[in-house]
Amino acid sequence: MITITPNDFLYLGPLGVLTLVGFLLVLAEAFTIGKHRQFLMQLTVAGCVLAMLAAIVTWRQLQPGQTISAFSGMLIADRMSMFLIALFSGTTALVAMLGSAHQSEYGWEVGEFYGLMLLATAGMAMIAMAGDLVTIFIGIETMSLAVYVMTAARRGSRGGSEGAMKYFLMGAFASGFLVYGMALLYGATGSTNLAVIRGVLAGQASSPLTVAAVFLLIVAFGFKVAAIPFHMWAPDAYEGAPTPVTGFMAAAVKTAAFAGMIRVFVFGLGGDVVPFGHIGWSTIFAIMAAITMTVGNIAALRQENVKRMLAYSSIAHAGVLLVGIVTAGIDPAGEGLSAVLFYLLSYSATTVGAFGVMVWIGNRDRERVLISDWYGLGAAKPAAALVMTIFMLSFAGIPPTGGFFAKFILFKSALMAQDGSLLWLVIIGVLNSMISIYYYLKLVMAMYFREATGEFKPLRSGALTFVLVTCGLLVMHMGMMPSRWLGYLGI
Amino acid sequence: MNGASALLPAVLALPLIGAILVMLLPKDEDGLARGVAMGVSLLTFGLSLAILVPYDINPSHGSMQLVFDKEWIPGLGAHFKVGVDGISLLLILLTTFLTPIILLSARTSITSKVREFCAIMLILEVGMLGAFMALDMFLFYVFWEIMLIPMYLLIGIWGGQRRIYASIKFVIYTMLGSLLMLVAIFYLYAQYGAVTGEYTLDLMSLDKLVLPHNVQVYCFLAFALAFAIKVPLFPLHTWLPDAHVQAPTAGSVILAGVLLKFGVYGFLRFAMPLFPYGAAQMAPYIAYLAVAGIVYGAFVAFAQSDVKKLVAYSSVSHLGFCMIGLFALNSQGIEGSIYAMISHGLTTSGLFLAIGVVYERRHTREMSEYGGLWRQMPVFAALFLICMLGSVGLPGLSGFVGEFLTIFGTFIADKSFPVGWDHFLPHPMLLAAAATTGVIFGAVYLLYMFQKMMFGELKEQNKGLQDLSWREIGVFTPLVIGIFVLGLYPKPIIKVMNPAVDQFIRSYKEKLAEPDGPAHIKGLPAPGTEVPTAEAPSEAGDTPPNEAVAPNPAHGEPGHID
Repeated sequence: MITITPNDFLYLGPLGVLTLVGFLLVLAEAFTIGKHRQFLMQLTVAGCVLAMLAAIVTWRQLQPGQTISAFSGMLIADRMSMFLIALFSGTTALVAMLGSAHQSEYGWEVGEFYGLMLLATAGMAMIAMAGDLVTIFIGIETMSLAVYVMTAARRGSRGGSEGAMKYFLMGAFASGFLVYGMALLYGATGSTNLAVIRGVLAGQASSPLTVAAVFLLIVAFGFKVAAIPFHMWAPDAYEGAPTPVTGFMAAAVKTAAFAGMIRVFVFGLGGDVVPFGHIGWSTIFAIMAAITMTVGNIAALRQENVKRMLAYSSIAHAGVLLVGIVTAGIDPAGEGLSAVLFYLLSYSATTVGAFGVMVWIGNRDRERVLISDWYGLGAAKPAAALVMTIFMLSFAGIPPTGGFFAKFILFKSALMAQDGSLLWLVIIGVLNSMISIYYYLKLVMAMYFREATGEFKPLRSGALTFVLVTCGLLVMHMGMMPSRWLGYLGI
Repeated sequence: MNGASALLPAVLALPLIGAILVMLLPKDEDGLARGVAMGVSLLTFGLSLAILVPYDINPSHGSMQLVFDKEWIPGLGAHFKVGVDGISLLLILLTTFLTPIILLSARTSITSKVREFCAIMLILEVGMLGAFMALDMFLFYVFWEIMLIPMYLLIGIWGGQRRIYASIKFVIYTMLGSLLMLVAIFYLYAQYGAVTGEYTLDLMSLDKLVLPHNVQVYCFLAFALAFAIKVPLFPLHTWLPDAHVQAPTAGSVILAGVLLKFGVYGFLRFAMPLFPYGAAQMAPYIAYLAVAGIVYGAFVAFAQSDVKKLVAYSSVSHLGFCMIGLFALNSQGIEGSIYAMISHGLTTSGLFLAIGVVYERRHTREMSEYGGLWRQMPVFAALFLICMLGSVGLPGLSGFVGEFLTIFGTFIADKSFPVGWDHFLPHPMLLAAAATTGVIFGAVYLLYMFQKMMFGELKEQNKGLQDLSWREIGVFTPLVIGIFVLGLYPKPIIKVMNPAVDQFIRSYKEKLAEPDGPAHIKGLPAPGTEVPTAEAPSEAGDTPPNEAVAPNPAHGEPGHID
């Protein structure tokens, strides 16, 4: 029985703002015509900034390690959830700015874009705050449905429809697995509350029911984070979607899926739950991480389309993040969780920035999605090339960027978990960094070492410049002064 | 912390500020960009010379001086900690000395994207200086990797025909090594934390940790791979000829002059002190490879028709001397190794610059295209001759001192080694003899090159060649003076490095004598083991370290050998 007390609403600020502004945008869309679309973007950004501020205020009210459960444990407010909500809102605001520039250039000014994006963000916020399987499910579905539509938002683009269709079918499948797994878990434990599930499972030998449940949940989340072998939708959806939406999917949606994974696996099941004989979920994730990193990186090597390359790169990054999830699972006292959060922040900033440069570089006549389209950018537009180089170095994990430090602490915490039992995974991880350097530098090479083919006519937009500068500075700052950010994550 | 300790950060900050300044200049102001970069690099050189003022040349102990320590990432235990000892000081001076020379030499060879070139050179200088100064593993790793990207861009943007292949090969090779080193750093960090309860990446603290012997071997291998690729040790050298040949002259000079030194320096500063047992176990193999590199490099250099490739392979050969001297593990060998590094930095830079001079005029590096240049370009020929002879190791010039000392050190390596390690270097005299053949071959291929290019018939197409301009003479003069000074009066240099080298050998032997067993702090028992009583045999120093666990020496009495 859910009882609702007034106190429950205290920590609901950020989620409430996102939802309300989301509905407001859907309404506002109906009353805005033509040129006034810019207003929708401004409203989105304002809503996101407001939600971000609310999250920061709530974050400051909470103590490290403090968790407040609201609505009978359906939602949890802790520093992690507030951090994630601030991250989602920030990402969404930046993507909205990319979106408005992209929309007006390519003529797909659908106003629903902003409303859907904010509702997706509200879903993400729900995942971040979830204390119950039901909340997780609702959050994931809210987010996913909005993103399916956003993928196909550019009507008339064949790639967009194809990608959206694939994404939708696969996603629907994954949701099926998810809800089935949750049902079985409920059957095994008698509760949908994650804390209760944890308590029940900890004192219990694994039953076939838990084995099946955990298996189904692994498959479902594997789809959502695009881990191999559940990644097939990602390259097509990433390629087909309008570039800002791709950025949104790669940054925010992936982060949200990982947030759900943390809630369900790390907090809900815990590392001590060993469903498969001696093999816990962490072992399966560890193997998946190794395969995901390796295959993702090797596949990325061959890509000539920058969007597709970044799609595979984001698969590879999911593999690295899985290493962090495994660490957080087997070593709850360690820094695995903070490392994952740091990684998600730096990865999101880098991803939004990189897709921002992709939006910036093209125009209606030539979208410049192939690597060969980037030839000579370094000479023609040194500032943009420099920013993109920073993002590529961050993806590749080369100092002094945030991506380097993120990988550094993630692998460090993995190695320190359980007396170095993850050494093999860390070695695979660092070797993968080396493979990834090749294709990230392929783009740097294209920008600096080749002669330009045709003049660059980039999009001129203040919002776009703002996004690039913000992301670039953030990535550099995270690399050079990481302690500031680690402080926010409670290390 | 006094005022002098701010000197090192200032030396680091100056080129960084310069790079930012250069980037902010208007796009087409090439002359201004060059001027600013030149001024900044000269200022950096001056400031690095100023290090010598507060620097105590005869410290009571050879440890770090002018240490600047500031907490950087508290959660991690990483500090911004820099300092110099006699070894790094010399290499820092080499770096700041070469940078203005390179910038001056690039005035005619780099004509496109000048502003970017100047900025990249200055950032590269920051990376190199930082890596030489760093006393924190994290900081070192960051600088070590920061160096990579400017060098990559240098080869890729201003390089030759196959620059893309060469630049990516350079990055991938270097990365491969350094990433495994990173894993070993994590491991060291975790072990130190487990033993002491304090997590730090400070080199001086980590240096006190003694790992179990078998682990030391793995960790040493992980570090050694990173540094051996950089040296480059045969057979990991294949990136070097590509990188050198494709790089512009400026890139080749900085690569040969400074970057390769990081390999040897890394062994000396990190791999060997941190994992002495691992180093001792691997010493024979490294020595074999070093000698193989000396001979192989010389032979392959002789077979080249491309002058630049010839000099590139000569680097493989010369760095082999540095490596074998290092693993002789006596003061002669190590001092010779450092001396050879500095000398190689001057002579090979001179050779690459000389090749750059003729390449700019003729746009070919084929030896057969030249001949008889002596008459056409007498000043150039004379300067080239000095650099070449310095590289050959003619007595009186810089190359001789280093090669002599390394070979001599290797020759007597047997007598200088700790008890229980008769075979630290197997057959040191044979190794020394084999290395000596490298000196002879070195004379052969370098003289052959000089003869082909400078003597004989002056070809028709070379008749119009101009001799060196005043600017070019200015480029060579400091190098030539350096080659002479180092060759004729090695004493000051040896005096600077001597305390640091002695300290290195002393602490290396102390740590090597530590018994096997769980990870522990040098001189202290491992946590969880019994403290030996006063009657425990205290001649632990005589115990061969490769034997089973011996009782730890009592507190305050580390097992001295010497």
